[in-house]
Amino acid sequence: MATKAKKKPASAKAKASNGQEKKRVWLMYPPQKITRPILWELGQKFKVVTNIRQASVTEEIGIVCLELDGKGAEIAAAIKWLGKNGINVEPVEINVMAS
Amino acid sequence: MEKRMQSNAGFMKALKCRECGREYPLAATHVCEFDFGPLEVVYDYALIKKSLTRATIESRPNTMWRYRELLPVAEDPTVGTQVGFTPLIKADRLAKALGIRELWIKNDAVNYPTLSFKDRVVSVALSRAKELGFTTVACASTGNLANSVAANAAAAGLKAYVFIPSDLEQGKIVNSLIYGAQVISIKGHYDEVNRLCAEIAGKYGWAFVNVNMRPYYAEGSKSMGFEIMEQLGWRLPQHTVVPMASGSLLTKIHKSYQEMSKLGLVTETPWHMHGAQATGCNPISQAQKAGLDFFKPVKPNTIAKSLAIGTPADGFYSLKVMKESHGHAEDVTDDEIRDAIKLLAECEGIFAETAGGVTVGVAKKLIASGKIPAKDSAVLCITGNGLKTLDAVMGHCGQPREIKPSLREFEALLAAEKQSPVNA
Repeated sequence: MATKAKKKPASAKAKASNGQEKKRVWLMYPPQKITRPILWELGQKFKVVTNIRQASVTEEIGIVCLELDGKGAEIAAAIKWLGKNGINVEPVEINVMAS
Repeated sequence: MEKRMQSNAGFMKALKCRECGREYPLAATHVCEFDFGPLEVVYDYALIKKSLTRATIESRPNTMWRYRELLPVAEDPTVGTQVGFTPLIKADRLAKALGIRELWIKNDAVNYPTLSFKDRVVSVALSRAKELGFTTVACASTGNLANSVAANAAAAGLKAYVFIPSDLEQGKIVNSLIYGAQVISIKGHYDEVNRLCAEIAGKYGWAFVNVNMRPYYAEGSKSMGFEIMEQLGWRLPQHTVVPMASGSLLTKIHKSYQEMSKLGLVTETPWHMHGAQATGCNPISQAQKAGLDFFKPVKPNTIAKSLAIGTPADGFYSLKVMKESHGHAEDVTDDEIRDAIKLLAECEGIFAETAGGVTVGVAKKLIASGKIPAKDSAVLCITGNGLKTLDAVMGHCGQPREIKPSLREFEALLAAEKQSPVNA
């Protein structure tokens, strides 16, 4: 098993003691989706708390930096649903897979 | 260890959010807790000015570490101490072919030890990781970064995990496996693989070079800019053409020019940062050409795999740098990339990977359109070696001509060539 640093590095996904998780993502909306209240719909469909930390909406693109708080499986399902609905979902680091 | 590092930060002051400016301790962390903006290293420039002179730099070994005060390590580097100080070549034949007065090639195709500029960022990330007490390092990569992490970790005695997409070419995998790294191949679409890697990086207490070590890692790119200025005789280039994947390299070379100017190591003269992409993955160049300050994600489809990032993390910042420095972006097709690789090889004897073809091809377009004026001088950044992307040019650079072991056959071939030269 790998040795850890004494202080655990900050995590993009923190797990709380009650089984709740927090995940940070960037959402990118194509122009045709900008007027749809997708985050409201997400709140209705999934038991996930959404917390917007940054946002920018223009005619060309909508960009939202979001924290999702809930059970791991519920967050995963919500992210999958966003993808199915044409929203580009990236981790807070955006491109982790480098060249 | 953490406590020691905070009291002994070398020439670093803090990590700072690029969005809101909040400061954080110099730990293995990369995102602002407030607005999730990326963190960047800030330095004590007053302190650096006292110890860093041209004479000091020139007295040090020919590696990227001769600028160590401007690199994010608290003490002397321990990983990749031989990296950098690659040749800057005056490319007169290529200048003539592209129609520009003066042209220079910064050739990281021969960077030590893994033949790409990634050795710069990795040596910084791993040196800093060791200072912070890590013994396991990791990365997610489709090529050059994986090779560099595997090699540099091996030489430093660090355990390395390398995550790769399952459809990666065999040659690229061997280039990481040979160093004894733990190579994990992940099946799935790019988006899923990318998100899983972010999750793994968050879950395990490793030094993930391009995630929790990113503020340090990215700073390593500045060394390419420092070297360009010193090798030009301590002056700023007028134009610099840089390939863009995430866009980080372009922003960091710009930062290196700002720092050297601020420290009085070069006289500040106008410089222009130009970004190069492949047409098959051009989110940043598309946005720059349309005059936008944000990019739209694209699905990559290009032979320039090392630039195939459809959602570039530093896209926004690289657009800002090009705007500030009155630079431009352009993109080139796969055929133009191959032609440019051949042109560079035939003119200067340098075999670059596909990203190098992108840089040369874009420079050609920018010069032809007058965006880089023909009377000016430009530096082209070549970031990787052509031996790594042989597949991209195979079948596009001719065939050897075969003869029997007979002098008569050879002379007949020469006579035929004289009548209709092959490389006219």
